[in-house]
Amino acid sequence: MNSFRLSKILVNTITYIILTAFALVMLFPFLYMFATSLKTPNDTFTYPPRFFPREQSTIELDGYDEPLPLYFVLANGEKKEYALVQSGIPAGVYADPNDLETAFAVPLAFVKPAIGGGEVTLPDGTVQELMDVPVEGKIMQLVQVNRTALGRFVDPEDTTKEIYQVVRTSEPATRITAHPENYIHVLKMENMERSLTNTILVTIFVVVGQMVTSVMGGYAFARLRFPGRDKLFLFYLGTIMIPFVMLIIPLYQLMVLFGWTDKLASLIFPWIFTAYGTFLMRQFFITVPKDIEEAALMDGASRFEILYRIFLPAAAPALATLATFTFLYAWNSFFWPLVIINTGNYENHVLTLTLNMLRGRASDSANLILAGAAISILPPFILFILGQRFFIESAMSSGVKG
Amino acid sequence: MNQKFIASLIVVLVTFSMLLAACQPAPAAAPEEPVQPAAEEITLRWRTRPDNQAEIDVYSSVSAELDGAMEGVTLVYEPGGSETSSYQDVLKTEIGAGTAPDVFWIPGTDIADFATRGLIMDLKSMADKTDGFKTTDFYSGPMYHMTFNPTTGKTGEALWGLPRDVSTFVLYLNLDLIAEAGADDPRELAKAGKWDWDAFLDVSKKVSELGSDVYGYGANAWWGPYGVWINSAGGGFFNADRTACALDTPEAIEGLTFERKLYVEEKVAVPYGEDSEPPFLAGKVGMFQNGRWATPGTRANANFTWDVVELPMGPEGMGNWLFWGAYVVNAKTQHPEEAWKLVQMLTTAETQGKISALGTNIPSRVSQAALDSFLTFTPPDNNQAFLNGIAEASNPTAEGPLWAGSWPNYDSIMGPMISKVLNGEMTIDEYKQSICVEANKAFTQ
Amino acid sequence: MHKDAESTNITRIETFINIVTGWHFFLSFAGLILLFFIIFKQLFSNLPSWLMFIGTISIIFLVGTSFFAGIQLRKRTRVGRTISLVINYLGFIFSFIALLQVLGVFLGVDALAKTFGSGIGWLAGVLAGYLIHAAGDQFHFRIQIEELFRKIGKYIALVFFTIFLFRVGLIKALIYLGKQIIIPTNLMIAFLVILFGIAIWLMWREETGIYLHRNNAQTEALEGYLFLSPNLLGFLIFFAFPLVFSFYISLTDWDAFGNSNFIGLANYLTIFRLNLKPLASATQNFIQVMDGSIYSELLRFNLFGKYFVLGAADARFWISLRNTLVFCIVTVPLSAIPALLLSNILNSKIPGMKIFRAIYFLPSIAAVVGISLIWQWLYNATIGYINYFITLGLQFINSIFATSYPIALIRWLSESRTALLAIIIVSAWQTMGFNTVLFMAGLQNIPKELYEAATVDGAGRWAKFWKITLPLLAPTTFFVITTTTIQALQVFEQVFIMTNPPGSPGTSTLTIVLYLYQNGFQRFQQGYGAAIAWVLFIVIFAVTLLQFRSQRRTGAYDV
Repeated sequence: MNSFRLSKILVNTITYIILTAFALVMLFPFLYMFATSLKTPNDTFTYPPRFFPREQSTIELDGYDEPLPLYFVLANGEKKEYALVQSGIPAGVYADPNDLETAFAVPLAFVKPAIGGGEVTLPDGTVQELMDVPVEGKIMQLVQVNRTALGRFVDPEDTTKEIYQVVRTSEPATRITAHPENYIHVLKMENMERSLTNTILVTIFVVVGQMVTSVMGGYAFARLRFPGRDKLFLFYLGTIMIPFVMLIIPLYQLMVLFGWTDKLASLIFPWIFTAYGTFLMRQFFITVPKDIEEAALMDGASRFEILYRIFLPAAAPALATLATFTFLYAWNSFFWPLVIINTGNYENHVLTLTLNMLRGRASDSANLILAGAAISILPPFILFILGQRFFIESAMSSGVKG
Repeated sequence: MNQKFIASLIVVLVTFSMLLAACQPAPAAAPEEPVQPAAEEITLRWRTRPDNQAEIDVYSSVSAELDGAMEGVTLVYEPGGSETSSYQDVLKTEIGAGTAPDVFWIPGTDIADFATRGLIMDLKSMADKTDGFKTTDFYSGPMYHMTFNPTTGKTGEALWGLPRDVSTFVLYLNLDLIAEAGADDPRELAKAGKWDWDAFLDVSKKVSELGSDVYGYGANAWWGPYGVWINSAGGGFFNADRTACALDTPEAIEGLTFERKLYVEEKVAVPYGEDSEPPFLAGKVGMFQNGRWATPGTRANANFTWDVVELPMGPEGMGNWLFWGAYVVNAKTQHPEEAWKLVQMLTTAETQGKISALGTNIPSRVSQAALDSFLTFTPPDNNQAFLNGIAEASNPTAEGPLWAGSWPNYDSIMGPMISKVLNGEMTIDEYKQSICVEANKAFTQ
Repeated sequence: MHKDAESTNITRIETFINIVTGWHFFLSFAGLILLFFIIFKQLFSNLPSWLMFIGTISIIFLVGTSFFAGIQLRKRTRVGRTISLVINYLGFIFSFIALLQVLGVFLGVDALAKTFGSGIGWLAGVLAGYLIHAAGDQFHFRIQIEELFRKIGKYIALVFFTIFLFRVGLIKALIYLGKQIIIPTNLMIAFLVILFGIAIWLMWREETGIYLHRNNAQTEALEGYLFLSPNLLGFLIFFAFPLVFSFYISLTDWDAFGNSNFIGLANYLTIFRLNLKPLASATQNFIQVMDGSIYSELLRFNLFGKYFVLGAADARFWISLRNTLVFCIVTVPLSAIPALLLSNILNSKIPGMKIFRAIYFLPSIAAVVGISLIWQWLYNATIGYINYFITLGLQFINSIFATSYPIALIRWLSESRTALLAIIIVSAWQTMGFNTVLFMAGLQNIPKELYEAATVDGAGRWAKFWKITLPLLAPTTFFVITTTTIQALQVFEQVFIMTNPPGSPGTSTLTIVLYLYQNGFQRFQQGYGAAIAWVLFIVIFAVTLLQFRSQRRTGAYDV
């Protein structure tokens, strides 16, 4: 019994480890997106990467106009925050002629020719003078093997304590910050505010339009007998599989003919008549019992009334499924807008297009690009959090029915 | 049920009223409709490709100013796409669909494609009648192509537009890295006349020795950077009359071999195909090869000491490019006269000065005053490096279209193959055997 | 008296029918005249030829059916009424759409978008009204309060909605509409709309219907078409027609600037122009065996000790096809197998299952463009997280096992070997969650009793998985694999965003759809692009058919 329980705990633990690992893989890119969208441009370029938005800590010191950046340095064996007061100080790399591997970087200004020194011929054939080099408080007689540049760091509490070391490899002291103004900034770029409005508008139109035509078509297929109905339905069914790319060139030409290129109309009207939606609604309406409808017909109700009063209220789950898919499709579509809405017409961009533009225009600012991505990804996420069950059940039903 | 009713009512009302509300005058009404009958004020749309928001703002203000200066014309400026969103291709589709602006900028390489397809207007007859207009006011390299007539095959017999600006490559230096590596300052070497391939390789090596994630050299993957190495070895993309591929000549091979050394043998460069700008701005690249357009980004983001230096001398000189792009007129424009006037106004010394003050480009007019004022737009301190790049003495190669073939096709054959060479996936010998067989397919048989 | 009224009624109906009959004859006559002008190139000669063709056919159709309707109406038959209604309905719809088009209503969406932003806040008021209205439900016990809530809610919603309408420019819109409609051509179209409308009304009237022996089947059929018509017409215009049109385009050298010549199957011939030649040695230059000005080397291979080289006139197409197939073959299992595993774990009703399910689902609702931008930065070779994690992992392994793997610097997106893999990972990552949910739906349909019976029989976890879960899950598996495959064969957005230039490095991530895009909208060979689309369609069709076949064979489809 005991071992059974143990094995159960073990299995559960392993299960959770697997699930959590996958969850992290799924979530990390989004977390990265949000974290990076709050960074300063500089902060996005650091390596090793820092997850949270960070900023260089600075300190104000007397005698310096600008706040000085703080770094962690090793002073007398302990790690301390020092301020960088000067960088790019010319320095030499010095080593013992007998042990060229161990080298010390010291500012040139501190080095003097060794009294009674002389010259040493190094293995590579160059001739170097022996110098007096101060290393960790001692004077050593070394030769210069290379040049470099150092930074001067001082102890903020006691500015006489100073340390020279390479700035690049020093560990900067940072503090966590956040720059939500990136979002405002990016909304002002590339007319993104407008493209957000456009996307909302296009999505509303497409979702509502597609629901209207699908409900009507689905009802006709499910409930009304007319010649050619079954053949038409088969035709509809057959076209569900046809990929959209088949249409892109002829549809583009059609839009040119209508004068709809560059217009939001081209993003709306071709997309509100779909075989898939009609199919979905038809499948649902077929399951609605016939007797209520027949009773209503007897009472002299018109078809519209029946559809409106009986079928529509019953179809809420199917409508929700349709609306969910249509919403995602309309909100996220990129290929068609890319083809039909040209870059010149800023007024009529949708979010995905703006992101594509942003990628070029702000290619050196990951923070802005990812803030833009967040703006396009957030609305579906919020809807998802609000109606999580809906989304997932829609997806589930799509599999079972299909 | 009632509740459902009002919800649906709202939905229906929304749709209906949106359709109704939708009827209000659209800013750009359908093209087939006459634009305001008997209007005195005509509208000209113009476009140029900006690289950042600051440029968009400047172009907008330029547009507003010119609008005031032009009688009876309303100017509408629209930014258009960036480099990655295929600016030229989109423009072509717009011309096809009839929604393109009246005046637009295109890169120099694309002039031929637009002209031979009949998408842009030959302005020669109008230019001849214009007082005080001289093509010699502009750099001769670009003007050779701008006045090329594809039907006669001669230059000077057409005018496709006027260059907006010129640019050239320099090396953006991370001086901190170079000093830390103990390498010589390239600016000093250039002054002393010792800035050649060997010196360049030496600095690159020293810098990349600082760490596995530090690189001596970085450049982006397009024809500009590798073209420079080929040019400076005395080679070129095409033969002298630009009618055949010359990418397999010994000179071209020499240039490419040296560049391949940087990437494959010595590994001192940011891997080919990776964007070099992020690591450069992160302070991990010693020398970043780019044009003037990279200056604003570097100003804003670099937190290290930086400057620029001209490209190193190869066996046959610096081999730099003279990049340019031009304002051209849509062949379908309703107002050719006004459009031509706008092209001229957009390329006056005054307008160009305003735009180059931003730091993104160099005026396309050959005038000492323009060059002198350009030098004052710092940082970088060493602006002279740009001017050295386009100076007559360094014999820059003007970016140019392909009148005898299709530049987009040529580029799409050349780019992938050279990227294989620089990635080490193809040897120089294999490249030499096949490049021109393939690339010559881009020429009209 | 009563009889009198009836007879006047009948004369009225007779008059109405006569009017419509005349209208039909007029229509066919007008159509004939129009046809005459079109054929002798007096009208619309600036339109493209295919449009003329379609226009001519529809006018001939109109002439014929309208004439037929007129004759049948003269005979006072039921069929006459049906055809008349259909023609007039179609005429009404098309002229109405034409009216909307010339009035600029469709393009007005742009103007609406401009002002929509300023009115959007007021829509919140509508929502508030709706909420108040809905809150009435809480007071079922007091009907008056419920009614009150409903009423107040309704009015609030209406008021806010009116404000919204004014904010987005209702007045301006109406003024504009008024100005537009008085333009003579527009007025004529409006008049046509009204004429068609009147004809419909005259025919649809209850009395006319009865007089013309209307029966229930006819009414139902008419109603059926009426309900289907918005969808069907839109579907025909925006889907069926473009599909056919696409095939026509693929037979031309259409170039997006309005130039097109009929070139027959030349586009397809170019695509399929291949050449296989033996090579003297493995390294022989291929120009020595093939005409380099036509063919490009596609691949060389060794067959029974002899070397062959395959050349293609359009090598890029074949490369793109290969890339797409590789992408598809790797992506599908990569997104389906983990999904199967996860769904089985999640199905075991453990606490927190819903949270995990929601997290896995998240990527599939985000825009591919956004996702691609994120991953592009994650993949960055020099400062990206993925290489950083790999480096950390290697350091960890090195420190534990004292090995010395070098620090990884994988150039995910800039090296031919890894670029396609990078795209595959992103796509599999994005579709995995959705597939997990689909599998979960499938699992829920498997009867629990089967597992219980198996437990009684002493079957272990694995046995149950192989013997029960997998076979019974086959329909879902089929659905998952088919949809993922079809999606994968159309991969475009990831490549377009993540590689620069798209398809790079070299041609390693060039996919068919990307190649189609390049041909259609960058090189302006739209005819060639359409031909590629058809080839892709055939590939998709073949793959799906193959899957159907294997599905049939396993017999899982019957479940």
